[in-house]
Amino acid sequence: MRMTKIYEGAYQWIMLGRDEHKPEKIIDTNQYMVRTANRCLLIDPGGIELFAPMLAAVLHHAPVEEITDLFASHQDPDIISSLGLWDQALPNAKLHASALWEGFLRHFGCETIEYVPIPDHGGVINLGSTELQIVPAHYLHASANFHIYDPHAKILMSGDVGAALEAPGMPVFVENFDMHVEKMRYFHQRWMPSNQAKRAWIDRVRKLDIDILAPQHGRMFKGDDVKRFLDWFEALQVGIAV
Amino acid sequence: MQVNQTKSQFVAVASIAAELSAVMEVAKEISLAAANAKAIAFRAGEKAKGFQPITDFINELAKDTIELVNNINEYAFHLYRLTVNEQRMTEACRRFEKVGQLAVGARYADSLNAPLQQVRQRNQVCHREFIIQVSELLIKLADVMHPARAARVIAANSRIEASQAGEYLQSLQAVAESVDNAAQIINDKVHKCRSALTIINVAE
Repeated sequence: MRMTKIYEGAYQWIMLGRDEHKPEKIIDTNQYMVRTANRCLLIDPGGIELFAPMLAAVLHHAPVEEITDLFASHQDPDIISSLGLWDQALPNAKLHASALWEGFLRHFGCETIEYVPIPDHGGVINLGSTELQIVPAHYLHASANFHIYDPHAKILMSGDVGAALEAPGMPVFVENFDMHVEKMRYFHQRWMPSNQAKRAWIDRVRKLDIDILAPQHGRMFKGDDVKRFLDWFEALQVGIAV
Repeated sequence: MQVNQTKSQFVAVASIAAELSAVMEVAKEISLAAANAKAIAFRAGEKAKGFQPITDFINELAKDTIELVNNINEYAFHLYRLTVNEQRMTEACRRFEKVGQLAVGARYADSLNAPLQQVRQRNQVCHREFIIQVSELLIKLADVMHPARAARVIAANSRIEASQAGEYLQSLQAVAESVDNAAQIINDKVHKCRSALTIINVAE
């Protein structure tokens, strides 16, 4: 699994993805890790098929006993169907996920890990030396959906917002925004159900200082491409299946 | 423990649950037959005097069977939970071993050793408990055979008593036949449960 450091300060952000051994028919995903001196947060740690390469990659940066926090942006299997395995591997971890999805996510197996329910208005994840904000992104696309914003690193992990479906092995950052647009259009129009929810999210996110917008599929956006994405998404009509 | 063995456990536990559900239905039928027999015997009066206490026996047997099956169902459910846990831990062991292969050279690869050992131990404990529960369930199933055997004896007695019931002969013989058939079905179902459990034991 490819590991790309996207922030280096008092702590690190690492993007993990582009796994060469991923079974062909499962969707490619980006996982993110926030590594502090003695804690480690895994953001959308991935599906069950990805568990072994994902943990093997994480072990380059942190021992299992320091993987203290998991975050699931929503309930989809590519996000968190590996939960039952993390549950067996991590002796003292918490899962931060929507209160709405608790009864659903527990189907994956969650006996050792402490489930920390996130209320609809969001919250924070305190990693000791730093604190991350949990930003509501409901109906984008799941009915209870959250993103993670780091005001120090200026990174917004944006779940399925900004996602693109591409051939395996694509670069980790958008290089030409105009050419990238067509790789995102259908995904957003079809998976995102609500223009109202989209506008609420854009209003909220425009107030944040963002250097990197990091989606769960496809390439990340940095610098001016973040604003370009927000403008493009604002103008896009979503919910096209009805 | 092999994945295929866990699968056979799932199949065996599911088969037991299905057979027990059928036993429960049959036991309820016996109970209904007992109520029916009681009504007929009451109408027959003196002609079916010998039949009247038999109906109470039939009803008691049905009640005993229902109670035993309820109790066994709890065992079956517990076996199912153990099988789910064992399957999860077996899968975890397999995936952790895969992590070990992929993480060769990783700085913190050794930190997975402790969780792997713990999952292996938990898996063994879970499997040992499963075996104990299977043994106890086999004994409980043998207990269900007793009322089923007694029901067949009662059915034989019922036929004799029915033969003296004049115009009620056919009705009472039908009751005896129904009890006999039900007892036979229970016997067969319980036998299937025992066979399913024995297959798991043989696989150990």
